[in-house]
Amino acid sequence: MTALVRAELLKLRTVKLPLWLLVTALALVLLGVAATVLTAGLEGAPLRRDDPQLMARAVANASGGNVVVLILGIMVLTQEFRFGTATPSFLVTPKRGRVLVAKLIAIALVGAVFAIISAAVAVVAGALLIPFKDGVVNYDEQVLQVLLGAILVMVLYGPIGIAVGALIRNQIAAVVGALAFTFLAEQLLIALLPSWGKWTPGGASSAVLQLGDLATTRGDLLPVWGGALLLVAYAVVLSAIAARLTLRRDLT
Amino acid sequence: MTTTLVFDALTKRFGDTAAVEGLTATVHPGRVTGFLGPNGAGKTTTLRMLLGLVRPTSGTATFDGRRYDELSAPVREVGTLLEATGFHPGRSARNHLRILSTAAGLPPGRPDQVLELVGLTPEARRKVGDYSLGMRQRLGLAAALLGDPPVLVLDEPANGLDPQGIRWLRSFLRSLAAEGRTVLVSSHVLPEIEQTADDVLVVAKGRLVRSGTLAELQAEGRGGTTVRTPDGERLAQALADAGLVAHGLGSDELVVQASPAAVGELAARHGIVLHRLAETAGGLEDVFLSLTGQVQA
Repeated sequence: MTALVRAELLKLRTVKLPLWLLVTALALVLLGVAATVLTAGLEGAPLRRDDPQLMARAVANASGGNVVVLILGIMVLTQEFRFGTATPSFLVTPKRGRVLVAKLIAIALVGAVFAIISAAVAVVAGALLIPFKDGVVNYDEQVLQVLLGAILVMVLYGPIGIAVGALIRNQIAAVVGALAFTFLAEQLLIALLPSWGKWTPGGASSAVLQLGDLATTRGDLLPVWGGALLLVAYAVVLSAIAARLTLRRDLT
Repeated sequence: MTTTLVFDALTKRFGDTAAVEGLTATVHPGRVTGFLGPNGAGKTTTLRMLLGLVRPTSGTATFDGRRYDELSAPVREVGTLLEATGFHPGRSARNHLRILSTAAGLPPGRPDQVLELVGLTPEARRKVGDYSLGMRQRLGLAAALLGDPPVLVLDEPANGLDPQGIRWLRSFLRSLAAEGRTVLVSSHVLPEIEQTADDVLVVAKGRLVRSGTLAELQAEGRGGTTVRTPDGERLAQALADAGLVAHGLGSDELVVQASPAAVGELAARHGIVLHRLAETAGGLEDVFLSLTGQVQA
C-alpha cells in the first residue's frame, strides 16, 4: 500500500494542476481573512474590532480552500477516466479497491499540506491585519483548536472529492455538481433550514471550525467532535458506495 | 519461467449482442501468436477480459490457471499494451513510467532502461501530449516491458508506427518469443502477422473461426478458386452437394477449395452463369477473408 500511495503522490507531483489549485486555495484564505477582519466593527457586522475571538474567527479561514481540495479530489479520480490512465492503473493493481484506498490516503496527505500552508498564511495575515484595524490579536487556545479544525476539514474534503468523482466519473458534471452543491444547495439549506443544514458537510465544517453564532446556521451546530465524525462518515460512506457501485464497472 | 494462456468458453454479452461468444484457445510460450480479425470482431474485448478490465459474462481467461486479478505481481508476470490513449498529456514519458514502476514496486532504474530499449531516451522528458502516435506506441511498449514479464499482450501494437518502426517491432517481437516469452499480438493488418506470427487465432463476429500454425493456414490458401456469379446461392448449394468447401465473400463471390477447372465444370453441369473464375494467389489473405466473410451454404 505504501508503494501505491507513493505512486499516487507522484501522479500529483508530475502535473501542474495541484500547484494552481494551491495558489487558488491561498487566495481564498487571504480573501477570507481580509473580509473577516476588515468588516469587523462595521455597522451590522457580527464581530466587533476588539472582539477577543477576532483572531480565532480570522484563522478559521484557513479552511477557505476546502472546495479547492474537494475539486482536486474529483479531478484526481475523473482524470483517470478522461485520459484513460485508469487502464494502466488497474493493470498494475487489478484489485481496484486498493487503488481507491491509495488515492484516499494520498489526497488526505495533500490536503494536509495545503492546510498547513493555509494555516500559516491565515495566521500571518490575521496578525498583520488585525492591528491595522486596531483590533486585538489573541493567541489563545481557541486559535489553536480552530487551526486544527481547519486542517481536519481540509484533510477530509479531498477524500470526499475522490468519492464524488468515483460516483459521477464525468469530470465536468462532477465539478459543476460539487460547486453547485457547495455554493448553492448547501448554503440555501443551511440558511433556510439550519436544523437540517447542520448535517451537511458545510454544516459539519462550521462546527469543527467553532464558528458558533457566526455560522449561517445562526449557532445551530453539532459539537466539534460531532462535526468531525460526520465529515469522516461522509468520506467513508461515499467511498464505500463508489467502491461497490462504480469502480467495478467494465473498462472498455 | 514460461506461462501458457488459456481462454475457456470466454463469453461477453453487452445486452443482447454478444461481443465474444464461447472463445476457447490456448496461447503457447516461446511463440508469437497472432490474434486476427476485422475491426469489431471482439479482439479488444477478449484481451480486456484476459486482463481483468472487462468482466466476462461467462467462461475464463487464465495465465497458468490464474485469473489476471489473482496474479501476485501482475506487472512482473504480464506486460500489456492496449490502445495508445492511457497517458496524461501534461506528464512526461519518464514520469508516466516512474508512476507505474513505483506502484508495481520495481527498481527505480527500470523506467530509463525500458525507454532506452524502445529508443525513446532522447524524448524521455518531453510531455506525452507533444508525442506523435508512433512515439506513444513506443511508450506503451516500454510500459509493457517494465516488469520484464514472461507474457506480453499487445493490442494492435503496429498502429501509428512508420515502416521502420514496424520492421523494428517485428524483429523485437521475434526476439521476445525467442527468449521463451508468450507473445499475443492482435491485429487487423495481415502482412504484419504474416511476417511475425508462429500461430494464428482468427476471430469473426465474436467467435473463434480458426486456430493453428501460420504455415497450416497459409497452405489452405493455395489451390483455391475465386468465383463470381449472379446465382451465388445455387452455386453454393451445388458446391456443397459435390462435397467442396466454399466460403462467401459477399452475396455474389465465393472462394472454393478446388481448382478452377473443377468449379467451372460443376457450374456448367448445373447451368450456372459465371462472371469470373480465377485461381487465387494463395496466402493468408484469402483464408482470412474467407474465414471472416459471410459464410454461406
